[in-house]
Amino acid sequence: MKGGVTKRREHYVTYWVLVLPAFLIYILVMAFPTIYSVVLSLSDYRGGNLFTSDINFVGFDSYKEVIDDQYFYVALKNNLLLVFISVFGQIPLGFIFAYLLSRDMVKHKDFFQTMIYLPSVISTVVIGLLWKSFFSPNGAFVQLIRVFNPSYEAALSSYPFGQVLFVTLWMYVGNYLIIFMANLQKIDSSIIEAAKIDGASEMQVLWHIILPALSGVIVTASILAISGSLKAFDLIYVMTGGGPANRTTVLSIFMYDKAFKGAPNYPVANAISTIMVVISFTLIGITKFIESRVGGRE
Amino acid sequence: MANIQSHSPAAKVGKVITYSVLLVFSCFAVVPLLWLFMNSFKTTQEFMIDKLSLPGQTEGYSATLVNYIDAWTRGKFPTLIMNSVIYTAGTVIMVEVLAIMAGFGFAKLRCKATKVLHGSFVIGILLTIQCIMVPLFLLVNAIGLYNSRLGVLIPYIGISLPMAVYLATEYIKSIPDALVESARIDGASYFGILARIIAPMAKPVAVTVAILTVSSIWNEFMLINILTSDDALKSLPVGINQFAGALTTDYGKQFASLVIGLIPMLAFYLVFRKEITKGVAAGAVKG
Repeated sequence: MKGGVTKRREHYVTYWVLVLPAFLIYILVMAFPTIYSVVLSLSDYRGGNLFTSDINFVGFDSYKEVIDDQYFYVALKNNLLLVFISVFGQIPLGFIFAYLLSRDMVKHKDFFQTMIYLPSVISTVVIGLLWKSFFSPNGAFVQLIRVFNPSYEAALSSYPFGQVLFVTLWMYVGNYLIIFMANLQKIDSSIIEAAKIDGASEMQVLWHIILPALSGVIVTASILAISGSLKAFDLIYVMTGGGPANRTTVLSIFMYDKAFKGAPNYPVANAISTIMVVISFTLIGITKFIESRVGGRE
Repeated sequence: MANIQSHSPAAKVGKVITYSVLLVFSCFAVVPLLWLFMNSFKTTQEFMIDKLSLPGQTEGYSATLVNYIDAWTRGKFPTLIMNSVIYTAGTVIMVEVLAIMAGFGFAKLRCKATKVLHGSFVIGILLTIQCIMVPLFLLVNAIGLYNSRLGVLIPYIGISLPMAVYLATEYIKSIPDALVESARIDGASYFGILARIIAPMAKPVAVTVAILTVSSIWNEFMLINILTSDDALKSLPVGINQFAGALTTDYGKQFASLVIGLIPMLAFYLVFRKEITKGVAAGAVKG
């Protein structure tokens, strides 16, 4: 009996020794700041010592300030465009490539996969600067476009966010290729072969076997794409900095500018990040709702 | 069956189309990087004359390494690379140790607290750097860790932990309980079991965690950009952005710095291609 008690004590002591270090760092770095961000968004804190300065609760003033800011809508619109291009551009393209590669129609699968995934591994800062130079007035884009039709040159300056959308698409298709490849390999190939022996066409196999089997993965990929596009920062910060005249700004750049450019406005910056979380969870909720309605047909 | 199909004319046309699509898009993915590489061997003057030719094609110019030599010293690349190695290696080591410890606790030591604690890590996967950025900056300042290595490392460990703990717990759960129980009966302590049985068996998940952590921390830009201002503490992405980003007219040097900047991840990718692919797929299990 005594042995049982010491053993149980050892069990609990060990448990906490194992779990607590990771948990404390997690609380300190992620959980507490997340909650504190909401607190700050409701306060009037403009700087000074975090622990000793007087911080007053002012309610939703900062949220009002955000909603009254015209650039909030520019940023929101750009973010939603990024979400759109990710969900309806990256995911379908990634799926098509994965499908072509995994159906044993081509040799050198590895080669193609490596090439298409390559842009995703390289630092966003390098990618951003590379494309910034490519699209700059002295860059290759202008020289290239003159070969085809010089009048297209104007398109670049008349719609600067287009280049951001293009690079985002270019960079992340490989990510979805990899995710779909991994899950396509899990589908039992004997089912597909049986269907083919029964005379099913390639399209029928795709529509009735492969897509239903991947519905869960498509939802996961959409969630990744949505949260990824709402978080977008590095690429745009490096490529355009949100300019010219804030036309390419997104919510995280808008937030960064409020907190770290000029006089810091921490409450407004935190209000923006809280709004971002709400939008992200709403879009993810909608995705899950759509899945529960149409997904998982098998 | 497959043989008969691949000889029919329709299948041949399909094959040609498939290959063309894949080839076009693969080239599309890689050509911009080749363009960068190619132009890094041109002086800025040569680049301005022709932005699409191979280096040395323009009359009076030849391919040169001068951009690299200049960029390497003026961009302080040795310091930047060293810092990035310290941040990445430090984070990976700590995350591995902490995640496997916590994963073992959650998966094999029964406790009522697990539901809440483990659940909070899973929620953490959904939290973003945006939500913690401003408070973390204020907090790091308030406790005097601004502009210090520790002030970068602790946040890096913290943001990497949720996914790492989740993956480690799931993996260790799949190790049979009987292994732990029989070792307990033989009188082994939990820490002995962790060190001699669990840790060696958790190697595959440790590789996945390492891959995911290296790729996110090496490229991390947003946090370190606000947590340090001292040149001696900057990482590769921040340093490149400040050095190369400022060279708006000196394209040759800018391209050389970008090539230097992408080589480490490129090498990492080419060596660990298989593991990276697996890691990305594993990281996508939870949304």
